[in-house]
Amino acid sequence: MELVLIPLLLGVLSFFIPSKWVKNTSILFALISLSLVLVRLGSFDPKYIEYVFHTGKVFKLGLTFEMAYDGIGIVMLSLSNLVIFLVALANYNKTEANSPLFAGLMFIMQFGLNGLFAAQDAVLFYVFWEFTLIPVFLMLYWFGAKENQQNLLKFFLYTLFGSLFMLLSILAIGVYSTSYAYEAIQYTAIPAKYACWIFTGFLIAFAVKIPLFPFHTWQPNTYSTAPMAGTMLLSAIMLKMALFGMIKWMIGLNQSALTFWQWPVIILGVIGILYGAFIAMREINIRKVFAFASISHLGLIAAGIMVFSIDSIQGSIIQMINHSLIAIGLFLAAGIIEDRMGTTNLREMGGIAKIAPQFGFWFGVILFISLSVPMTAGFIGEFLLIKAIFDFNVWMGILSALTLVIGAVYMIRAYQMSSMGAPTMATFSDLKWNEVSVFALITILAVTLGLYPDFIFSIVKPSIKHMLEAGADTQLIIK
Amino acid sequence: MDALLIIFLTGLISLFLGMMKKPAYALGLNLLGLSVAFILLWNHASYVSILKSYAGSLVYNGPQIYLSLMAILFTGLVLIGGYAMQSKDKSHYSDITSLMMFSLTGGLCLIGFKDFFMFFIGLEILSIPVYVLVGSRKSEHLASEAALKYFFTGSFATAILLFGIALVFGATGSFNLNEIGFAVMSGLYTPALMIAGVLLIIASLLFKVGAVPFHFWNADVYEGSSKGVMAYMSTVVKIAGFIALYKLIKTTFGNLSDQWMYFMYAVIIASLFIGYLSGLKQTSLKRLMAFSGISNTGIALLSIMNGTQSGERSLVIFLLGYGASSLILLFISQVVSEEDDQISSLEGIGYKNPLLGFSLLVALLSLSGIPPFTGFFGKFLLIKDIIQLHPVLGIAAILSSVIGAYIYLRLILLIFSKRTPAEKMSLDWKLALVLITSLVLLFAGWMLIL
Repeated sequence: MELVLIPLLLGVLSFFIPSKWVKNTSILFALISLSLVLVRLGSFDPKYIEYVFHTGKVFKLGLTFEMAYDGIGIVMLSLSNLVIFLVALANYNKTEANSPLFAGLMFIMQFGLNGLFAAQDAVLFYVFWEFTLIPVFLMLYWFGAKENQQNLLKFFLYTLFGSLFMLLSILAIGVYSTSYAYEAIQYTAIPAKYACWIFTGFLIAFAVKIPLFPFHTWQPNTYSTAPMAGTMLLSAIMLKMALFGMIKWMIGLNQSALTFWQWPVIILGVIGILYGAFIAMREINIRKVFAFASISHLGLIAAGIMVFSIDSIQGSIIQMINHSLIAIGLFLAAGIIEDRMGTTNLREMGGIAKIAPQFGFWFGVILFISLSVPMTAGFIGEFLLIKAIFDFNVWMGILSALTLVIGAVYMIRAYQMSSMGAPTMATFSDLKWNEVSVFALITILAVTLGLYPDFIFSIVKPSIKHMLEAGADTQLIIK
Repeated sequence: MDALLIIFLTGLISLFLGMMKKPAYALGLNLLGLSVAFILLWNHASYVSILKSYAGSLVYNGPQIYLSLMAILFTGLVLIGGYAMQSKDKSHYSDITSLMMFSLTGGLCLIGFKDFFMFFIGLEILSIPVYVLVGSRKSEHLASEAALKYFFTGSFATAILLFGIALVFGATGSFNLNEIGFAVMSGLYTPALMIAGVLLIIASLLFKVGAVPFHFWNADVYEGSSKGVMAYMSTVVKIAGFIALYKLIKTTFGNLSDQWMYFMYAVIIASLFIGYLSGLKQTSLKRLMAFSGISNTGIALLSIMNGTQSGERSLVIFLLGYGASSLILLFISQVVSEEDDQISSLEGIGYKNPLLGFSLLVALLSLSGIPPFTGFFGKFLLIKDIIQLHPVLGIAAILSSVIGAYIYLRLILLIFSKRTPAEKMSLDWKLALVLITSLVLLFAGWMLIL
């Protein structure tokens, strides 16, 4: 229980901390919850499910309030706590860091995230899923660009609209299941003619949040008007909620209902890969470049998850971690440029690397990590994912492998336009200690996971295996 | 049931207390009466009521006790919250309180009735004081218009209701709900009379709760009444109206559902969408609340359509969330300005006082159905029960709540807008009490289902 409640307590506490201390306390608080989860990670045995909150009772209406994590859960929990810590650290010098409101919202969001990754009950999952929207909405409104009302409304309503379909599906499952507990749903027989529709509801909610290709329109504008830390949180961890949901709450529950969606989602994912990449190639707003790059990367992960094999899901998990790391890195770099130059337009930039060599170096390193060069986590992830899609269908595999090439084009273009060439500005103060340490931490983690991915695989593999078996076993009543 | 008597006597005494022209005394007396009634009702199982011989016509069981407690609690909050504004007119304050007490008496009758006598008496005792309360701002021409309009349309609905009751009596030969229910179940009734009667009763009750197509009075009456009275109408009157509707239609005429099913289908879907869609362009907060109230009526009506017997429990949770949110919205807008109820007057208010901002935020999120607030669980329960039998209604409710979320989110954006400079604002302890109680209800009210 401490895993979920301590962020809430810290969040509420943060509202009352005087603003001159708050940037230090928020790093301290993030470290506290990070260490809590790392202790759990250290003692985790992949063969079992570990309960965070366990009553063993079924309350009225089939509510259970169980919270537990398996291998995938603990990896996502560690990731979410790590992301919060990195965001707190990256944000250290910004004006938002001095606001108790901001720190409070961040930890309340972490409470939602931890609850979501640990939820073992469909209603609880939905509650946390929606709950995370509240702090991020307020964060984006209070600390974002002045004229972002329309974007925010679009973001909130779009995601709310999507998740309401998930609510309908959960309610429909409740008709057939004895309770909303994960295990109960896993072994519930749902009539075949409804099963597909029921899981379509989940898919819509996740597709909007990922975002999958035709549902992505909220994303670029939201990213470009949000405060930098908000963008980092959104892309580094909010989107992972949806991918995690796809793995645990779609594949883990009922694969046979999803075979109908296998082709459409993979095709949409591949379209997303190419669409995002092509737009990123022409985009001149640096934040939007990274936003579209994110659509491209996540399209690959979503397509890979829908292949339903151990390899592809392993690949998607390591790629999720990698994407969280590079999203923080890239948006931090974009934020640094934006702060010090006052522009997001790539055409007005140039030669930063000459004036600020440290920034140029680290930006380059993050860039190469995001290109998935060998020896980084991205290489392992993209390799596994593309291989899985190849196994599924050769043409889809070839198209999705294009991401490696086009990715290089837009990333290097962004680097070239911003950091190479003749300097367009007189001064550009170089990196501060916190920014260097964020970049360094990201690099160390990405390279470590790139060299030793088995650390993650050994944790998640038994859970994935179990999940795929349980999900495949689910029976359909043929009516 | 002693609670009923105590509330009525409190109202009566408070009427005489008006001669002292000390609003504080009247408030204190009424709150005392309400809390005694609350405690008596809370411990209803542990003593024998002196009104036991009436037990045939007034019976309170599980959810109805909760609903009565809720009605009493909300009346108390309305009295406390509205005090600052209503007590300005010292010589008439105790009129308002005693009218509310009388109306609450009727509301409690409506929650516990077992036959058509008690039902009709309860409905009239509930409504007539509210007609007067709506017109209590005597100098305002809008208020007089609202009172007159409400009175005329209301008495028309009552006439239709009476006609319906007469027809049902003609068809079954009884006023007692159990006997009518039995007649309905065993087919011992005259079909033509019965169906006409049931539809007339349903129509007049739908008028009372303000469902489409009987909703036109809502916006005008709300606009004319003061915010305290409006808060009373959107809590206690709604509670009593819905529970009466539920008991009559679902419990008594449930077996006739083939006859009214499609009519209710149309009413619910129309209410769900027409309310929020008319609310989109409103600039007056009261009118906005009236229209969003119509859509919430549509959601509450889902309880009548479901196939399970848990509709009352879902109504408890839903009305708790709706009432608490309405109280927060109305009393905060009353603090900002009683006269001008433009939505724009709320601009930037979230920065003036943290408690104000926080409660408005929670109230609006709860209204838009975002978990983990009571409003979400109310909708969740109602839609959960409906989804198996009538998936179309469930989907319609969910779609309409997206439109609702748009309306409420725009309000949130307005409340926390940064354009106006924020001077700090201090809160009256009475308002703070109302806000905190409502917040507790919004955060923890749903735990009643466990």
